[in-house]
Amino acid sequence: MISKALVTDAAIIEGILQDDDAALSRLYKLHFSMVLFFVQSNSGTEDDAKDIFQEAVIVFYEKIKAGQLELNCQIKTYLYSICRRLWLKRLSRSSRFSHGMIEDTESELAPHVDADAEQAEQNELKFEAMGNALGQLGEPCKTLLEDFYIRSMGMAEITEKFGYTNVDSAKNQKYKCLMRLKKLFFLDYQVPS
Amino acid sequence: MSDRELLELIERYHQHQVTSAERRALEERMAADPVFAQRVREVELFTAALQNHGRQKSLRDRLNQHHQAWQQENQKVTTPPVLKRRTPVQIFMRRYAATMGVAATVAIVTVFSSLLGMEMWRSATKQQTARYVELRREVDDLKRKQNALLNTNPAVTPKASTLNPGQFSGTGFVLTSDGYFVTSYHVIEGADSLMIENKNGTKLKVEEIYSDQVRDLALLRVTDTSFTGFGKLPYSFKQKESELGERVFTLGFPREDVVFGEGTLSSKSGVYGDTASYQISIPLNPGNSGGPLLDDRGNMIGVISGKMLGVDGAAFAVKSAYLLTLLDQLPEHRLPKPISLPKVNNLAGNPRPQQLKKLQDFVYMVKVYN
Repeated sequence: MISKALVTDAAIIEGILQDDDAALSRLYKLHFSMVLFFVQSNSGTEDDAKDIFQEAVIVFYEKIKAGQLELNCQIKTYLYSICRRLWLKRLSRSSRFSHGMIEDTESELAPHVDADAEQAEQNELKFEAMGNALGQLGEPCKTLLEDFYIRSMGMAEITEKFGYTNVDSAKNQKYKCLMRLKKLFFLDYQVPS
Repeated sequence: MSDRELLELIERYHQHQVTSAERRALEERMAADPVFAQRVREVELFTAALQNHGRQKSLRDRLNQHHQAWQQENQKVTTPPVLKRRTPVQIFMRRYAATMGVAATVAIVTVFSSLLGMEMWRSATKQQTARYVELRREVDDLKRKQNALLNTNPAVTPKASTLNPGQFSGTGFVLTSDGYFVTSYHVIEGADSLMIENKNGTKLKVEEIYSDQVRDLALLRVTDTSFTGFGKLPYSFKQKESELGERVFTLGFPREDVVFGEGTLSSKSGVYGDTASYQISIPLNPGNSGGPLLDDRGNMIGVISGKMLGVDGAAFAVKSAYLLTLLDQLPEHRLPKPISLPKVNNLAGNPRPQQLKKLQDFVYMVKVYN
């Protein structure tokens, strides 16, 4: 049984490394109901469970991609502890009984959980702030920046797409947009000290 | 170099697209100028964040798709456990139900125990409103002493005034002229020694011969050596039951002096349906117990025993018939002398004051010492 689970785990990690969408799907099918059950039995909704689970999966995914994952237990356990930690934190923040509630005995199980949960939260904050900033930026700045930085289009291509007279004015536009985005982003998001 | 060009240079530097000359220049400047180095790092972080955002966005989209797929799959199998958002009232109840339960329990217990306690206390202190009391008088020592001080002049020997007045007192009457005497059992109950004293101050020592606790009667006999006899008794004892509505009277010692009380026979049974007693409507007080109850013609028809507290005009007397059967049933050997009851009645036909004058020599206060 255990060896089977381990095989499955290895297959999922392999799949993620190879950008296989089926691996994510598998991850979802295998583990989401567990998290859903935990969150629902702790006064949460399915949407809460979805958010929490996705945060955890993103950290997991990015750690695999970056090759930083130190997994000394099953994926199931790892995801569960992160989700649990995230959810308890969120609960304690919205609750009046906020102190000392999440002094957990389970942290021995997965020693990196705390840090990972923290990272997941920062990640979430950053993502949201960036999303907001991009939203406020408006067109065509948003698309321009996304094209350049995310879709890695060349400046020449962009000049053509947006109908600028030359590459230089496109670059100029891009610079202005970036500066505005930066301002908007840091209005929302404080770099953790 | 404009800011824009600098930014582009830095971006290229991070993407490793700079010439070695540019790189050297940049790195030298970063080493020399920490503020500049900071700026370079910030540009890198921000760019990374932006790129990261794009990556994560696509990842999230994929995850959402998976979520939808999962939802569709699971909705078929199980309708998701509908966990409704609770209303504030429900949340409140969930959070405080236990506390409220405890508080309610405490309140209920407190209320009922205090009610119960109060009830018990009340019944303990007040007792029943209507109850039977025996009319033996508990002599108030202090009062007696004060009276004695006021009444006695200094010439009287102090010995007389320090005489023990006795702890209880009641009334009794003469049964036979040769020294038999009747009172209520509860008057002499627990007595060490007994004295009888009449209105004239004649004191006689008596002893208990026989007592019947059930009928509340006691037979005494004068043991005083100086005693010569009571004289001829003016009343006789009635064997038959008297009729309702008959006028009856009694003499007794509810205080130091003899007190007359008159009324009617109001019932042929006593308290709790006791057929051995009459109910009479004579105002009686503690100390009247043991007194004789006589009818208009001067027949002894009963012995005063007690009254009902909290009920108006309800006093009780043991029927004389029971006194007579008691005397009949007495074993001979317990009696120092046979009892010869008076047969003649001298009171009949006399007006009440005359009757009382004759009677009062035969009614005594019984003093109980213990």
